[in-house]
Order: sequence, then C-alpha cells, then structure tokens
Amino acid sequence: MAYLNRKGQLHMTETIAVMFIFFVLIMFAMIFYYKYQQIAFKEKQDELLAARAMDKTLKALFLPELLCTKGDAEAEDNCFDLMKLRHANETFVKYLTNYYFNVFSYARISVEQLYPEKKEFVLYDKLKPDATGAEKTYFVVILKDEVRGEGLPQYNFGYVMVEVYQ
Amino acid sequence: MTEGKKGQIELTFNWMYVLIAGTVILLFFVGIVVKQKAASEERLSLDVLRVMDSIFVGAGVSEKTKNFIDMSGLVDYTLYFDCSDGVGHYGLKGTSADSENAIDPIFAPAEIQGTQLIVWSLPYKLPFKVIDFLFVSSSNTIYYLFSDDTDFANDFTNVTQGYNVKYTITPKYNEIDPGKSFQVRIVDNGGIVVKNKGQVPTKLKGMDDDKVSAVVFTGSNQVDYYQKEGALWKKLNFNPVQIISLGGERDAAKYGAVFSANDKDYHCNMKKAFLRLKYLNEVYGGKEISLGNVGGKLGEMVDYYDVHKELELTRPDCIGNVKKYDSNLVSLMQTHQLRVSACLLQQSSCADLISSAADLKKVNMALGVDCITLY
Repeated sequence: MAYLNRKGQLHMTETIAVMFIFFVLIMFAMIFYYKYQQIAFKEKQDELLAARAMDKTLKALFLPELLCTKGDAEAEDNCFDLMKLRHANETFVKYLTNYYFNVFSYARISVEQLYPEKKEFVLYDKLKPDATGAEKTYFVVILKDEVRGEGLPQYNFGYVMVEVYQ
Repeated sequence: MTEGKKGQIELTFNWMYVLIAGTVILLFFVGIVVKQKAASEERLSLDVLRVMDSIFVGAGVSEKTKNFIDMSGLVDYTLYFDCSDGVGHYGLKGTSADSENAIDPIFAPAEIQGTQLIVWSLPYKLPFKVIDFLFVSSSNTIYYLFSDDTDFANDFTNVTQGYNVKYTITPKYNEIDPGKSFQVRIVDNGGIVVKNKGQVPTKLKGMDDDKVSAVVFTGSNQVDYYQKEGALWKKLNFNPVQIISLGGERDAAKYGAVFSANDKDYHCNMKKAFLRLKYLNEVYGGKEISLGNVGGKLGEMVDYYDVHKELELTRPDCIGNVKKYDSNLVSLMQTHQLRVSACLLQQSSCADLISSAADLKKVNMALGVDCITLY
C-alpha cells in the first residue's frame, strides 16, 4: 500500500514537472511573439511614415496655390511663385480644419529662401499633440518674384522642407 | 477482480482525457487559422488602399501620364468607387477597408475588376490651374466611341491610347461585342445612337444592367448619363449635366464626364474642384476679394503699379487691365469668386463660371505681352 502511494506521488511530481516545462515553453513563445510583433509594428510604422512623408512632399511640390504658371502653358517645374507663396499661408490657416488638414494632415511645410537673402516662409503647420518624431524631406526649388525684378522676374533660390509628424 | 475494474476505469478516463485535450488543441489551431485568415484579408484590403492612395498621389502629379498598374493578384476582388456629399470613397468590395477622399476628384466607373488598372490625370483649369482630375479605369472596360465630330474623335482616340477604346460608326451600333470585358461604356458625342428608351445593342442585352452604360454629349456642352435596363436605355439624370470648362483639347471636365460612373458622381467630383477654386481665388485675389477688397497676388500687382507710376506712361495697358479698364482683373476676380460661392450653394449656377473664367483668361492674355500676369 505504502509502495503504491509512493509510486503515485512520483507520478504526480513527474506530471507537474512536465506541465511546468510546458508552460515555461509557452511563456517563452509568447514573449518571443510579442517582441517580434513589437518590432514588426515599429518597422511598419516607420515605413508608413516614410510613405506619408513622400506623398505630402509630392503634394506640396505640385500645389496650384504655389506653382509658377505661364498662362495656358505647362506649369514651371520646381518653381514657386513668391507672389502667391506670400499669401498662401493665410488661406491654409483659414481653411486648415475643414480642408487643408485633409491634404497635409499633421505636418509642417516651410520654404527657406537662401538667395539673395535668407528668409523663411511657413506655409502650413499642424503639430500632432502626441508626436513622437518627424520625418523631414527637402526639395530644392526656384522662387520666382515678378515684382522685385527690373522689368523681368527675379529668380531666387531655396528649398522646401516638409516635416511629417509621427 | 477489483484491480481489473480499476484498470478499466483508468483506461477509459485516459482516453477521454486524450479526446478532450485533443479537441481543445484542435479547436485552438482552427481558431488561430480562422482569425489569421480574417486578419490577413483585412490587412490585404488596408495594404491595397494604402498602395492605391500612393498611386493616386503619384498619378495626380504626373500630369498627362498614363499609369498601368498590374493588379492580377487582386483579380478575385472588386474595387468600388463612389462619391457623395463632396466626399469620395473607394476600396475593396466586401471588406471593411474604405478610403475617404474629400480633396481629389477621382472619375471612375462604380466598380472595377480585372488584371490591370489604368490611372491618368489632366489639369483642370478655370482659367488658371485648379486641381488635377484623376481618371481611373481598367483594361477590361471597353469604351465604344460614336462621334459626329471628327476633331473630338481624334482627340479622344489620341489621348486615351492604352485604354480599350473602339471608335466605330453608327451602322455598326448593333454589332458591338463586349467579348470578355467586365463592363461597356458607350461614348456618344452628339446623341447619335443612344436615346432614352432606345434599344441597347443586341450583344449587350445579356450583360448585367449595371455593367452597360452610356454617356451622351449633346449641344452646348451638356451631357446625359444612361444605364441599361433590360433591353432598353434608361436616362439617369433628370436635368442635363453642364460641363464647366473653357473647352479646347484635353478638356479635363469633358474627360471627367466620360470616365464618371453617373451624374451624381460627376457633380460630386466637380464640387471638389469648385471648392478648391474658391480657396485658390483667395490666394490670387485675397481673402476679401468677394467684397471687392483686393489682396493676395493681385494685391501685390496693384501695389506694384501704384508705386511704379512711370509705367502708366510707358505701359498704360498694364495698370489698365489690372484695375482701370471696364474689364479689369480686380472686378473680374470679384465676379469669379462670387460665382464660385453661388455655384457651391446651387449647382445650376455653376455654368456662370465659364464666362467669368473666359473674361479672366482674356485679360490675363492681354497682360502677357509686357506686364505681370495673374497666372
């Protein structure tokens, strides 16, 4: 009888040990899966942010509110009209919530003029309250100013910076 | 004897235990598979939307370039496009993923299913560039063109190269063969073949009603939409749809009508363009231009000519066209902005935009000689 009891106890300990190892393995698998998912999620977020930054930059570069035009002809590539640019911000701010937020979302778009003198034009700025970072994209542009030149338009030089908040 | 019974109970218990545990484990894995299937379908639809968003942004800025996108991996799915209350929607039918777009006018059939998506854009000008119109179609959507105007027919066949377009003549109307196409759109320039309650071509009668449609351009830049209903054509719009454009080749508003599913979608997308025009007018003419207070780019032009008084002698047409002549930029911009506001409130008044845009274009061209132009 005593022998049978001891055999039963041994069997029970063995089962508990197997179950313990089983649960430890399950726990390891869960931790591994959780870490993997965390990294994959971060990578996906970075990828999405980069894609969003590229989309917003493209949109900013081809905005009719800023582009240089030549009547009915094709718009001038990589050129912003300073006479429009100086006033575009007023419109962007006025219609930010009901229109331009749908275009640029949480972002900051500015134009830095480098030549002939340094000057910054902030066109759009909507900060994300819980932003954890930002993806910046730069693009060189020509800035055409028709009221500054001597009879001919004056061409300035600068870059556009699109900062998309994460 | 007692030990034998005990053994029997233990054996049965073990088997039951194995069965229950096995079932639980099996159910666990079946559950995982089902959840993963649903999750991957959801992920696929979201990925498709994200890729489509990027494609549309790229296509929107690469004006006049056609983009042919392979979507053979999505051949079992149907893409849908819709626009109501100034907001466009698109996505994969049967999934919860839906992309909203209140900015870009996207002219497309209601549904697309096939192996190749065709995306193309044209700038919409009224008179300056307002926005890019995006035209979405597929290689298995056939467009049959009937036209009494060879200029339009030539322009249409030239600009739609790559699309499945067939230019045909009236006697061959009943020979239209859809083949294995997903849907058929008849483009009737001049109202030659499609009439309300008229007969649908014989070989199209067997197709689903929503897969056969027609767009008919009538005189004075108007358009009507038709849908197959049994063997007959049914007109969709009550009032003719006015095309708001300055005409010419590659008329974005006209091509928008060709690629739009129906009059409701067309109006909805045009409304997006008119809203953008209102904001652009403020950049050009200032935020109080509708009250006659000039600002924006036009304000800078006025200030420039006020400062450079000497130009009144050497180039009198400059200041004249900007603010002194009867037809000047300041008053024309004010009219244009007032008309945009009226158009946004009442669709029927949008046609007035054509004349104000044409007047602005005329004055801007006059300035183009040796003055600063508005656009």
